[in-house]
Amino acid sequence: MSTLDFATAPQAQLSPSRMIGVVLIMSVAAVSLLGPLILPGDPLAQSLTKALAGPEVGAPLGYDHLGRSVFHRLADALRLSPVIALAAVMMACAAGLILGTLTATKGGWIDKGLVMLADALLALPGLLLILIVLAMVPGTVVGFWAGLSLVLWVEFFRLTRAATRETLASPAVQASRLLGFGPVYIFRVDIWPEIAPMMLTAAAFGTATAIMAIAALGFVHVGMRAPTPELGLMMVELLPYWREAPLALLSPVIATFALLLGLTLLAGSRET
Amino acid sequence: MSLLKAEDITVRDGPATLLEPLSLRLEPGEPLVILGETGSGKSLMAQAIMGTLPPGLEAKGQVGVGKHMLNAAAPQRFRGLWGREIGVLPQEPWLSLDPLMQARSQIAEAHRLVRGLDRPNATTRAEADLAALGLAGAANKYPHELSGGMAQRVAIAAARAGGARIVIADEPTKGLDAARRDDVARLLLSEMGQIGGLLIITHDLALARMVGGRMIVLRSGKIVEQGTTNQIFAAPQHPYTKELLAADPENWTPRQRAGSGQTVVSTSGLAVERAGQHLFSKITLDIHAGEVLGVTGPSGCGKSSLGDALLGLLKPAAGTITRGSEKHAFAFQKLYQDPVAAFPRKRTLGRTIYDTLTLSGGRPNEVDALLARLGLDPRLLARRPDAVSGGELQRVSLLRVLLRNPSFIVADEPTSRLDPITQAQVISLLTEIAAQDDVAVMLVSHDAALIRNTSDEVLDLGPHGVPDTFENATDVRVGT
Amino acid sequence: MVAVLIGTATFVMMRSLPGDAAWRIAAGRYGYDNVDAAAADAVRAELGLDGPALPALLQWLGDLARFDFGNSLVTGQPIVDEIAHQLGASASLALVAVLLSLLIGPPLGILAGLRPGGLLDRVLLVVSTGIKAIPQFLLALVLIVVLAVQLRWLPAAGHGEARHFILPSLTLALGLAAVNARIARDAMARIADMPFWRFAKWKGLSERQTLMRHGLRNVSVPLITYLGLQFVTLVEGVIIMESIFGWPGIGHALVHAIFSRDVPMVQGTALVLGLGFVMVNALIDVAVRRLDPRVAA
Repeated sequence: MSTLDFATAPQAQLSPSRMIGVVLIMSVAAVSLLGPLILPGDPLAQSLTKALAGPEVGAPLGYDHLGRSVFHRLADALRLSPVIALAAVMMACAAGLILGTLTATKGGWIDKGLVMLADALLALPGLLLILIVLAMVPGTVVGFWAGLSLVLWVEFFRLTRAATRETLASPAVQASRLLGFGPVYIFRVDIWPEIAPMMLTAAAFGTATAIMAIAALGFVHVGMRAPTPELGLMMVELLPYWREAPLALLSPVIATFALLLGLTLLAGSRET
Repeated sequence: MSLLKAEDITVRDGPATLLEPLSLRLEPGEPLVILGETGSGKSLMAQAIMGTLPPGLEAKGQVGVGKHMLNAAAPQRFRGLWGREIGVLPQEPWLSLDPLMQARSQIAEAHRLVRGLDRPNATTRAEADLAALGLAGAANKYPHELSGGMAQRVAIAAARAGGARIVIADEPTKGLDAARRDDVARLLLSEMGQIGGLLIITHDLALARMVGGRMIVLRSGKIVEQGTTNQIFAAPQHPYTKELLAADPENWTPRQRAGSGQTVVSTSGLAVERAGQHLFSKITLDIHAGEVLGVTGPSGCGKSSLGDALLGLLKPAAGTITRGSEKHAFAFQKLYQDPVAAFPRKRTLGRTIYDTLTLSGGRPNEVDALLARLGLDPRLLARRPDAVSGGELQRVSLLRVLLRNPSFIVADEPTSRLDPITQAQVISLLTEIAAQDDVAVMLVSHDAALIRNTSDEVLDLGPHGVPDTFENATDVRVGT
Repeated sequence: MVAVLIGTATFVMMRSLPGDAAWRIAAGRYGYDNVDAAAADAVRAELGLDGPALPALLQWLGDLARFDFGNSLVTGQPIVDEIAHQLGASASLALVAVLLSLLIGPPLGILAGLRPGGLLDRVLLVVSTGIKAIPQFLLALVLIVVLAVQLRWLPAAGHGEARHFILPSLTLALGLAAVNARIARDAMARIADMPFWRFAKWKGLSERQTLMRHGLRNVSVPLITYLGLQFVTLVEGVIIMESIFGWPGIGHALVHAIFSRDVPMVQGTALVLGLGFVMVNALIDVAVRRLDPRVAA
């Protein structure tokens, strides 16, 4: 063929800190997904005789105050909040992306209205919004999903809108238009590559925020209800027994920290 | 006695020599110009004398300032000279002033902290400095309230407040139009006076000619030629100097007028505003195929806006624009001042070119033919826009535009960021294409000489040619 | 504007809460065990909860214009009194936390930003990333276990004495400091790379003089601007801290009000928070304008 054989780009490499982030997330995911398969067990089964007992083959992380296997409860908890968080982030990302691109291209009263709504939501503490939605929506899981989506879409919306507006005003887009490229091409080639890395960063931060919020509300007894295994709830339940069963308390603490650290590292710096 | 003496200065980056042994002397009252293009090592030279080389680069040689003799290999010793012996006029005076501090304090702090005056005396001196530069009223102003020229004068006063007799100016005219450039040259010469020293590092031939004195021409870290500035301009010896001087738009041979073809676009009584600000009105012009229309004037006069209006990117405030019989809907194209910003940032040039080719329905061998015609290496297409040189990228932009088979190209300051020799190449390609492909070109530049020597018709939007200062006079007519 | 928006929004939200509001309120008053249908009916009649929503909303907005937030449905006390009482506790906690964080974060950030890539910069990056990844309640938990339970230096909960401030405000301050150290570091690194920083040295100023005269003021502008954005994060933190440490503040009250369906209380608190947001940002605006003449123009 011709010189256009050169038209392929090398893929960008992940930075070392992002690699560590990915590894941390993968290992937490491995524990939660593969753990129960390798070692089946019931996270809700109580046996009071084993309350606060140390690790054994059937329960590698010991037992909690009601004699439930901490390992199996942890594996369950590590599926619950990340799944809610991911679903909320996906919803928020889709809404933010669509509304952000729409307002940046169309402008007018839709733009003004949505920006005002986003600003008003920013002025309210996210946890408060989540609490109110939780109280409105039947079902804690759906409530968390709806509330978190409501809180998180603002960030995606603002980022998309700002980046799209800036890109649309750039010479690159003007040149593409003069050459006759349509809006789909311009979005795919000029706009999307600019916002995609921001979306990844915002999604990782958003997931971390969501997991933190679920755990924080669980910790102060206003989130998930017992006996559902949830990270914050597990910690507050085990807190009084930390002398007798330090491992039982430390496991959810360490798992939460590893997960959130992984997400923070994956997000990288805001500048990218 | 020389104010500044540099002997056998070399700069190395590990095994690579960036600047070969170079010696210079700076005499009172006689400016010294170091002339060179990007990559010639002229800024490294200045940094070695100042002790501000970036980490990783090592310098050797001796620098003598007054009675101090310093080793260029030990840059930390130079710190004590700054402000006291050597004043530096920064490249971008506006960004070089603290945005949160008034002009007076920025000068007074050097009088107080460097020269050691007490606070009231320092303030009085700073005000006297400003008054001497014609800026008595600007003492309380913050940098954002100063014009570029005022900021440059404040910066000069601040640079010398510590008592420096030597001024080093690194590219003092970067990005300035002709009138501002002449102001800067005059200001620097008058500040130097009879006893001061002035070292100017530049690629700007016009500035070098105005400053006079002595000159060193650098290329790839080597001295090509040195002597008095007038002598070199009158009779350059080295082939490179000859090429460099020939690339000065002042020295170009004016273009032979091509026979005009069909009208491609015409305007009548055109007026344009941008962001609510009135730019010009009553412009009537006809642009013909194969013709180069030059548009010139100082920054902010509406040169670029005229181009945007003709391209349909900006709605005219009054008047009409009529397109001639076009080949197709996308026959009006544009070349940008900053070509890096005009390409999708994260796509290789090859893919963007390929997309354009697909869109216009051309064959791949068209690209090969154009690459050869524009003197481009096909391997450049594997890179991203920010990984090729400015001159190459502007030629790739030209290639992309030509794939669309245009009838009209607006070239908006296409070479203002290029070195002189590259600029000459790009402009000559552009005018060649106008003639050979029968394309109408509107060339926008702040450089009046460049416009004069390349265009068939000239439209001057500057203060002498601004049509709207004569509201009731006849329209400005070009090419009709 | 923000006030009306927030008020209406919370009103609509609270009205659409599932479950019999009267029942919940009655439970809040008398305790869950003592509620019966009669008590709930009495509450319903008393509060007009059966009435249509729109007049209730309009009436509430009208009262608002006279600064009358109404009475709490649970305690029967005027909302204004309740909030005024709790606001002091919350505000003092938040203020101590912010001041503490400003003592920790920015100085470290500025030192790190002066030598980007240096040892301090790298250590600070690791530490602040780590702290940002710890949820505040977890940080509180660690501090409680170490400082209060294990070493018995400080009380784990309570309110009223100076030493009660230390744990909750330190927890909040560490979280804030992790972020504002980064802000200060980035601002300092950016400023140290600016032409005016180089030029100040070329004028003959020493490193210290350059930092004092051209560094600190320029760093403070983005830092103060960011403080305004942190307000919401701070409020969230305060809500959690108050719940953990049993601090009788506005956040604590809000969580309770939401669960006992105390509509006027939630509205009043949300409104106060919204007004706080507006006020803090207005103050920050004024401060930035005083510092930065470019914004004032």
